[in-house]
Amino acid sequence: MLCYRLVSAGEAVYFEDIRVGEEYSSPGRTVTEADIVIFAGLTGDYNVLHTDAEHMKASLFGERIAHGLLGVSIQQGLLSRDMPAWANESLAGLRWKFKGPIKIGDTIHVRARVAAKKDAATPGRGIVTMARTVLNQRGEVVQEGETEHAVERRDG
Amino acid sequence: MATAAPGQRQAYFDDVEVGASLETPGITLTETHVALFSGITRDPGTRDPGAVPDLLPLCLSSGLGWRVPQPPLVVLAFLGFEWRFLRPARVGDTIHSRSRTVTKRPMREGGIIVEERDILNQRGEIVQSGKLTLLVARRPRP
Repeated sequence: MLCYRLVSAGEAVYFEDIRVGEEYSSPGRTVTEADIVIFAGLTGDYNVLHTDAEHMKASLFGERIAHGLLGVSIQQGLLSRDMPAWANESLAGLRWKFKGPIKIGDTIHVRARVAAKKDAATPGRGIVTMARTVLNQRGEVVQEGETEHAVERRDG
Repeated sequence: MATAAPGQRQAYFDDVEVGASLETPGITLTETHVALFSGITRDPGTRDPGAVPDLLPLCLSSGLGWRVPQPPLVVLAFLGFEWRFLRPARVGDTIHSRSRTVTKRPMREGGIIVEERDILNQRGEIVQSGKLTLLVARRPRP
């Protein structure tokens, strides 16, 4: 069953409220040909890997695959659908591995865990590290990595 | 295994020189980029109308690399990357990227290339920076 946590606009989650070990899991999303076409148009990355169906038939993957960074961008949006918003949050860093292709029609979801918290160089903020895994409909890990987020402190 | 598509010049692992650098033309970040990006990713980072989602400059930099006179690399797979977000980008900023090959390691199928990339704004400030690891094809034997 899908559960959506309702977070009112005023209910910000500050650095102090975030606990190491907290886990989140996102809803699923089917990555479509349209997603890939729009992403190629937006970014200008028309690599044959993503745009030439005939060429890709003879490739390692057998068909067009999603841009790696499209997967990164989709998982970022997916996870935010089922998580409370963190106060004045911004991405500080990313360490990421592409483990397997995302093909047209694959349905991906994200699992994430708060792995660490530390002080930020900027006063009034802290850094939260999340370990993330992106899985497809067969439970295969297609992407994984760590994201670092700068989050506002309540007492900042 | 097919590596290169017909109809364009290509650069292979063999052609890459460690230390070679590349500077791309620029692109001005617009509300349209933000709307399209937010539409496909549902990135909620749009609290303020001039804000640009953190991942958008990185995504756009991959297309900037195609707008240089050098032939594109035959990338077989994007293996991973490390990235730092140093300052926010805003709608109206013009970004471009500067990259340098720092590592080259042959593998049985192709080779690994590590590229350092900075994204700069119109004031020359580094907005984002990191390292990308790519699996690149070797030049096919004639």
